[in-house]
Amino acid sequence: MSARVSARPTAPPARGTAGRRSGVLLGAVLAVTLAAGCGGRATTHHKPGTGHQVATGGNGTVLPATDEAGHRLREVEAPGAPAVRVEARPDSEGGWNIHLTVERFRFTPESVGGAAIPGRGYARVVTDGKEATRLYGPWHHVPPGVRTVTVRLHADDHTVWAVAGRPVEATTALGPPGPPSPTAPSATSTPVPAPGRTVEITVNGDSVQPPPSRVEVRKGERVTLRVTSDRPDTLHVHGYDREVALPADRPVSLTLTADRTGLFEVETHESGLVLTQLVVR
Amino acid sequence: MRAPTPLAAGVEAADDAVPPLLAHGVGATHDLPLPPFYAYAGAFAALFVSFLGLALLWSSSRFRGDRAGRPLPATVQRLADARTTRTALRLLGLAAALTVVLHLLLGPDDPERNPAPGAVHVLLWVGLVPASLLLGPVWRLLNPLRTLHALLPAARAPRPLPAGVGIRPAAAGLLLYAWLELAAPDPASTAALLSFLAAHTAVHLLGAARHGPAWFAHADPFEVYSSLLARLSPVGRGADGRLVLRSPFHGLDSTPQTPGLVATLCVLLGSTAYDGVSDNPRWITTLQTSPLGPAPTATLGLLAAVALVASLYGLCAGALRLMDRELTHPLTSFAHSLLPIALGYLTAHYFTLFVTEGPRTVMMALGTDNAPAPAPPLAPGGLATLQIGAVVTGHVLGVVAAHDRSVRLFPPERAVAGQLPLFALMVAYTLGGIGLLVA
Repeated sequence: MSARVSARPTAPPARGTAGRRSGVLLGAVLAVTLAAGCGGRATTHHKPGTGHQVATGGNGTVLPATDEAGHRLREVEAPGAPAVRVEARPDSEGGWNIHLTVERFRFTPESVGGAAIPGRGYARVVTDGKEATRLYGPWHHVPPGVRTVTVRLHADDHTVWAVAGRPVEATTALGPPGPPSPTAPSATSTPVPAPGRTVEITVNGDSVQPPPSRVEVRKGERVTLRVTSDRPDTLHVHGYDREVALPADRPVSLTLTADRTGLFEVETHESGLVLTQLVVR
Repeated sequence: MRAPTPLAAGVEAADDAVPPLLAHGVGATHDLPLPPFYAYAGAFAALFVSFLGLALLWSSSRFRGDRAGRPLPATVQRLADARTTRTALRLLGLAAALTVVLHLLLGPDDPERNPAPGAVHVLLWVGLVPASLLLGPVWRLLNPLRTLHALLPAARAPRPLPAGVGIRPAAAGLLLYAWLELAAPDPASTAALLSFLAAHTAVHLLGAARHGPAWFAHADPFEVYSSLLARLSPVGRGADGRLVLRSPFHGLDSTPQTPGLVATLCVLLGSTAYDGVSDNPRWITTLQTSPLGPAPTATLGLLAAVALVASLYGLCAGALRLMDRELTHPLTSFAHSLLPIALGYLTAHYFTLFVTEGPRTVMMALGTDNAPAPAPPLAPGGLATLQIGAVVTGHVLGVVAAHDRSVRLFPPERAVAGQLPLFALMVAYTLGGIGLLVA
């Protein structure tokens, strides 16, 4: 509205009373225009997300290029453009937990399908070149077997945010979870955590072999506890609050990423034995 | 136990109907062992300051006990002594105690979901340290047993407590509480806590019925503990009963030399030392493989720690006696100087527990289910600095307090030599304390 009205001052002023009236009107209109102009450049008469067409201007320029699934790219200037990083942590039950760190970007699932607004939208996960899912938040689980995962930032109108003709995306390679690694990890944006170390413990009645000691772990390292108990019990890692049922005479593994510093006791619940202490520095 | 993953919880509910036994108290994270650098730096600082103090400190006594201090404004005095304030504090103490007992009786037997164990082991036991340091002997004012005693009809004229008893009953009570916290099989279970609280209430109500309210000041472990720590508070009462702002040294100097003071301090030092030992994997192995069973072994360990602290003190007192035959009470004359050392130990051992489990207990009491413990506010380096700083500061305060007492009691020519045994004792305690933080 304001864009149309603000064109008027270029018209020649009318004479007489009509001219004075129109002068007053003009002042009022200007005031309204100025007040409305405070919110930034007005580009559409629709509220955000209700436009009929792909908006342009501050929302970037739609390029003819598309990604592999046919989404058009939306070019924005590098300063102020959204950015994304992705890191993967092995999950203790298999697969990977990936975490997106976005900058100048917000997940807006409530307005998906609307017009593109700078710094808003969703992310798309592409696993091994195939489109897997959309993300409306920073965390996602990738099933085991996936080799590479790419996350790409989309605008609400499904175009892909792009800088210099390249989509805003991040890729990381997922090594095989577990010690045997048949393939060498390829060049990655985030280093994959080392497989970590394994602590073997056997419980026989009241005796713990090896006797309780301190396992020194660096913060961020992965630790696998492999425990065999001669009777059914529950294994519990304090502080991390991880529990796993121990059937009799069968080794059970519990893997955790030591992401908190401190001294944590690993114990069995039924027999109340301390098996070892994790010292995470 | 806290917040198992939903999957694990579901599995357990299905095939494991037995509720998990909790063989541990409150708090899932222990402090990291101290890196050697901090330990050496702390030990060196303690030794250095001690010798420096010996050489440079004043040669005539400066601390004037309860005759020192600047009176607080009359409004503060009136407010603190007002009947309304006192009644409000009594009601607060009674309401808190009632809440804890109700939680113990009706709540789940699980310290992760019941705030009562945390209220006793963290808010009361550890929280009394900062509260008493800032505000003075607070438990005297809050003590729900005092309120109960006042509400019960007085049977007959109370008999005065024999002078020789002193605060010995409180030392025994503190040892019992330390046993519950550190050596009992299940210190955070509702059964253990209810038994302790029932015995505590019964003994002290009976004692007070026989000896009057003065019983609490001599026998209630929490009250004696709080009153002793309050000696280091900047707020205290002068000889005329007025509230004064004073240097903690003056307050410390005014510690009454009652019988049992040494025993109480030895229990405090010994039990905190045992708490440090109990984290050591070798001691854990001893407990778990001992033919006596873990709880009796832990009890013996606790008693041994207290006995070790006490025998070191006895050795020192004997040496003092040899140096000066006229010193009638070598044991109690210097006991006050151990108080800052005990405070340093307590701070180093319980700081993290208090700042993480304290808020969590309050959250649980306010009805938050599965309240997460907030992350420790200090990085490992900061925590190590704080721990060493607390132990060394306690040591320095102790050395200064002992020096002042020494120049008062000994003739000038023997004042420096006279404090040497005490000096050696403090160095032994402090190095031992640092050693426990490293182990």
